[in-house]
Amino acid sequence: MSSELDSGSQLGVLYYCPCSGCMRTTDAPVKASKQKREFAELAEEECRAPLDISTQKQLAVLRTWPIEKLYYCDDCSEVRCPHCVIEEPAGYHCPNCTFDVPTASVRSEKNSCARNCFHCPVCTHVLVVVVVESTQGDGGQSCSVLSCAVCMWDSREIGWEFETSTGISAQIERMRAGGSAVKEYASLLDYWRTVQRTASATAVGSHGLTSSASFKHRLTSAGLHGNTTSVDSLPPYKAACYVDSGAELTEDFKALEDANIIPFNGDPRTKEPQRVRLHMKLSRRCRMCHHILIKPESKAHNSRFKIQLLAANFLPTITFPNSLPASKARGSLLEHINTTPLRVGSTAPVVLRFTNPLYTEMDVSVDVGELDAAQTDVLAPRFTLPPFAELWEYDEDEDDSSLASPSASSSGRGSVKRGIIHQHGNQIAIQLDVTPRAQTQKLTIPLCITCTHLDDMAEMDTSDTSTPRRIVNTFWAYVSLGTVN
Amino acid sequence: MARKCRLHLAPQALVCKNTILEGDIRIGNGTVVHIDASIIAKNGPIIIGTNNIISDRVKIVNNHTTPLVIGDNNQIETDAVIEGRGIGHKNVVQVRGKVVGTSTLGNNCVVGVMCETDPSENVPDNTILFGNPQSRRTRSDNNAEYLEVHNKHLQYVHEMLPRYNAIIGAE
Repeated sequence: MSSELDSGSQLGVLYYCPCSGCMRTTDAPVKASKQKREFAELAEEECRAPLDISTQKQLAVLRTWPIEKLYYCDDCSEVRCPHCVIEEPAGYHCPNCTFDVPTASVRSEKNSCARNCFHCPVCTHVLVVVVVESTQGDGGQSCSVLSCAVCMWDSREIGWEFETSTGISAQIERMRAGGSAVKEYASLLDYWRTVQRTASATAVGSHGLTSSASFKHRLTSAGLHGNTTSVDSLPPYKAACYVDSGAELTEDFKALEDANIIPFNGDPRTKEPQRVRLHMKLSRRCRMCHHILIKPESKAHNSRFKIQLLAANFLPTITFPNSLPASKARGSLLEHINTTPLRVGSTAPVVLRFTNPLYTEMDVSVDVGELDAAQTDVLAPRFTLPPFAELWEYDEDEDDSSLASPSASSSGRGSVKRGIIHQHGNQIAIQLDVTPRAQTQKLTIPLCITCTHLDDMAEMDTSDTSTPRRIVNTFWAYVSLGTVN
Repeated sequence: MARKCRLHLAPQALVCKNTILEGDIRIGNGTVVHIDASIIAKNGPIIIGTNNIISDRVKIVNNHTTPLVIGDNNQIETDAVIEGRGIGHKNVVQVRGKVVGTSTLGNNCVVGVMCETDPSENVPDNTILFGNPQSRRTRSDNNAEYLEVHNKHLQYVHEMLPRYNAIIGAE
């Protein structure tokens, strides 16, 4: 989340996933079924193998994510990043006609839309089927052509005119299949399939054809044994289109080369429209326990999710508030937090807001990692985030220490923790005092955050249902504070 | 500050009242000028032909002393700008397209969405400006299907526009 106040400063919080495939933030035992246990153990070995510091530092860039991009496996009680999930297709659809393509057709149609969806060869926009007057024949006959609304390209420019406005792909296939080389290829295939069938029918063994060597062996052996239905008794191949004469050999060769045997791809040289490629919907699984984390609806028009396990629903979200709502007791508006520019040597207060997404309380502890560039004091290192509940259940705001005097509980309510600026509902804003030591373009502070909560879901596996499980998640967050002058 | 408008409207022209018309303007039969269009003949007259559709927020400005001539059967879509010396027949200037400077359009041209002519070029007939980054090509059909659709559009607008907007009575 970036601040709007200063376009130069880029405030943001990134969460770190130390995975080389999986992230371990708890010491809870890995839940894996018996079959997958080996994989899980291998993966754990991977995780625990230490990388040297310099590699770790360089890799850290790849492993930080905003919380919106992270998932959470509730089986493993672990955070998962996009690197440590397994993706698999959950459905295929055409992006243009939003037709859901069944999985079997995907392969046969070579991952392209089998209906009227094509890209314009000039400007790559999607073509539209339009009924126009035919230029061929009598004229005055109507036919369908593909036309582009952007560049006004027309399939009449390459001579494509279709009788009906549906099933354009099929009509194109038929047009292409008229080529003599394609016909020849098809008849050759048919002939050799017949030979294969005859040969395998006369084979002594009943293994079927496993290799070309065994196929040849059977051919020859069949001939030697002189069976009645031998391969030799089959009539020799007769060319479907080409006349077998030596003089025309070179012409045949040229024709075969020119023939566009690949039926689905548009040749860019001939400016033919290409079919629209299908899009996939992906579902994601935890790499360790194969629990599904994200499962979208397979229908193309439906953009919801059947299963959606996001890190933001399990871990506290850390943000920079621009301003905090005033409390009624104080009567003043707390405005413009996080506006103090950072200067070397001077202490600036930085306010971070933690939001608890769970329905149970969460204990959070914040520790600062080592950093040469700045010294950070966390004024409220340990606090408890109240659970998420309906708004009308919240009490009046329990404020608060003003920014000017962090040590005074001037509101008079007593027992207000030092460093907690604001508390509202399931959110707590805490203050960090940052003293930069050096000028830098982008000051980033590492924070080690540990959250603990009680698991309120019923345990299915264990017999012990009396004590709910405590789940502890520890992760690093990198807080970017922008430029230091 | 609006100069007196010497407006000559043909009997079947349909011009909304909420338009900005300044200077010497002549509008032909069947032409429709939608709301919020501005036709400003600043330094020279503007002559608009028949059966044009000039959509809302269009700015037709004549900065030159020579007349700005718009032909027949053109469609000038929303927020377009025509500042050149004129356009021919059966052209389409799409949304936010611009004919700038001293350029002219020929016939059967299409200035695509947010596309511009060069500051001073005479765009030849049958040219299509499109895309971002802008490129151009020549159309290979003869634009035969344009008139049918255009006339239907015109008919519809002539029917519906007066129901919902105040129209300048023809003089």
